[in-house]
Amino acid sequence: MNFFQRALKNVTRKLSKSMLLALTFFVIGNFVIVGLGISNAAEQAKVLTRKKMRAAITYQMDYDAFYEYVQNLPEDEQQDAYNHYPYITTDEIEALMADDRLSSINALTTLTAWPMDFEAVPLNNEYEQRENGSSMSCYIDENGQEVCEEYVWIEPEIFIKANAYPNMIEFADEMFVMVEGEMFSQEEIDDAAHVCLITDTMAEYNNLSVGDTIEISFESPADFNSSFNSWYQDLGITEEDVKMELEVIGIFNNMTEVDPTAENFEWMSKMESPENVVLMPDSVYAEYQYNLSSISWDYYKEMWPDDEYYQNDDNRPTMDSILSKTSVTLLLHDPLEVDNFVEEVEATLEGQFRELNANNETFKQLARPLDTLTLFASLIVGLVLINAVVIITLVTALTLKTREYEIGVLLSQGVSKLKVVGQFFVELAIVAIIGFTLSVGSGTMIAGKVGEEMLQYQVEFAGLEQTENEDEDHYIGNWNDSYFTEISLEDMVSEYKVDISPLIIGEIYAAGLGIVLISILIPSFMIMRYNPKKILMSAQ
Amino acid sequence: MSTLLKLENINYSYIDGGMKRTILKDCSFEFEAGKFYTILGPSGSGKTTLLSIIAGLDTPESGTFYYEGEDVQKIGLNKYRRNKMAIVFQQYNLINYLTAHENVLLAMSETDNPIPKNKKGVAYALLEKFGIGRSKANRLVSKLSGGEQQRVAIARALGSNVDLIFADEPTGNLDTATEEEIIKIFKDLTENFGKTVIVVTHSNAVSKLSDLRVKLEDGQLRLMNSDE
Repeated sequence: MNFFQRALKNVTRKLSKSMLLALTFFVIGNFVIVGLGISNAAEQAKVLTRKKMRAAITYQMDYDAFYEYVQNLPEDEQQDAYNHYPYITTDEIEALMADDRLSSINALTTLTAWPMDFEAVPLNNEYEQRENGSSMSCYIDENGQEVCEEYVWIEPEIFIKANAYPNMIEFADEMFVMVEGEMFSQEEIDDAAHVCLITDTMAEYNNLSVGDTIEISFESPADFNSSFNSWYQDLGITEEDVKMELEVIGIFNNMTEVDPTAENFEWMSKMESPENVVLMPDSVYAEYQYNLSSISWDYYKEMWPDDEYYQNDDNRPTMDSILSKTSVTLLLHDPLEVDNFVEEVEATLEGQFRELNANNETFKQLARPLDTLTLFASLIVGLVLINAVVIITLVTALTLKTREYEIGVLLSQGVSKLKVVGQFFVELAIVAIIGFTLSVGSGTMIAGKVGEEMLQYQVEFAGLEQTENEDEDHYIGNWNDSYFTEISLEDMVSEYKVDISPLIIGEIYAAGLGIVLISILIPSFMIMRYNPKKILMSAQ
Repeated sequence: MSTLLKLENINYSYIDGGMKRTILKDCSFEFEAGKFYTILGPSGSGKTTLLSIIAGLDTPESGTFYYEGEDVQKIGLNKYRRNKMAIVFQQYNLINYLTAHENVLLAMSETDNPIPKNKKGVAYALLEKFGIGRSKANRLVSKLSGGEQQRVAIARALGSNVDLIFADEPTGNLDTATEEEIIKIFKDLTENFGKTVIVVTHSNAVSKLSDLRVKLEDGQLRLMNSDE
């Protein structure tokens, strides 16, 4: 007849008292489950929505802050400050990349180009019929004669994403999926290897495969044959100088789809088509750009011998200045790490005209009703737990008072105080477990109903309307450099589901057993601080 | 005969209505093993208090008492109550949601003394010995008569296999016939089981059956003469 057996006998032989206590625990359990259930569902909805949002962070120059800073400088220093425009340097980017939380990075230069020995994938829309053409332009020359010339324009047809690093966000996030070959390596980037990746549709359309070479031009071929654009001729840049041969080392599938029924489809140009995206190392374009800029610099230096800016070689373009960026996009492995990452990096950027944007404001604004719900639910849980401790302690104290005699008898038999407490704990724990177990079902149901009603009320109270995400369904072109996934309140609310997980049930049992222990210990101590004789005398 | 329990300069007093009442004053006494003692004294002389102290239910202000030569405080009061002695109260002090059999088993389970493996059988046998048959043994004690409950209490005292049994007015709530039966049981415990029994009583009938009568007077214990 150990303390556990005695506890079982007491529970089963004093059934009405046990049932009443179980009912008390059942009611408390319901309140706790409602509170924890709502709180957990709200937190989960936020977590799931945050996970749905891409863990993208834009690290960018804060030129507003820079301009404000320059405006406050003495006038004679302002021009010098403008001449030393701040940019995000390669070293800076590499320092960010050292963080383990980072999955991939886009330090991109985006540009358009013209295909020379292959064709862009057609869209077969109305714009395509009009994109290239010519017009006659007439003027009166110095002899008073009217001269008419044809001005030809050819639209760029391919869109180039030149990344400074091989681990591009598009591949990490499966917006691009490699079909054949591979992404350019860091070594190829460092060596400015003339390599590229093209889409599978472009490859198929032109019967291209890995190992083939394509030729592109960074300037319109028409510009070299027109007297309207004599700039290249003045600089001595030929048509061949703006062309580049690139070896196809990879073919990828661009998962972005164009909706031919979308309103803007008819006016979309070929270069906006996801099929006409070409990837290449940023260093290759930077090298090309450096050569062009150097020629241009020398030209203007010679043309304007009195210009202070061009005469100062410190202002001459360098590879580093060309490779520098105004914005880079970082993708983290875990969306839940975004806030911490932003906070940590921001702390190191004081006075450096740099800022981070994680699209948090939208998320925080949308999460407001859920935050209110969490706060309310946490308050319920807190109040219920405090009340539960008080109520159960009182009930237990009253129950134990009626059992003073039994405590005295047990102690007079040499039963240790620990075993006496153990017996009462087991008794109360049994009824608590029964009460809490029954409350799991009803509490889940109540939490679901109450939570939904309250969330609806909060949504209306916050003045936020549940709108469809309009940007989600159609493509807005390769120019969109935002990697943020737009979310709507509906997205977040749809994630709100009260699901009483084993963890919550475990928490309820742990909290319940904690309450039981506290409520046993306090009155037990009050009674058992006396010796058995006093306890027995007090009970008689 | 060896000394089982020895009291040495025990003092005990309490405050009652602002007045200090001395119950035991430098009280010293030796109880021999295997004897049936009765402690007598007028009402309010402190018999029950004395029993509470030597049964380890209360602690004296000063003084020491020894069990088989060992200071009981050093043994530990709880251990002393569990392994060295058992007590039978006037109010029986049984656990009312347990059966008679379970009450006996409780004492058997708690003691560290050697107990036969077949605890349940031994508990039934003990109860049987004191006139509690199997069917009554399986009843809740609250369903038994006063005399039956006292027998259960005695069986419980024996269940823990101790050598020293105290009883505080064990027949106080019983009729004369039952009183005689209970006293015979105590007598039997000393004669046939070698137990030391110390009974606090105000009943002359009970005290006459004991081997030795001890009087508590002016805070002291003394052996009574046969003609007292």
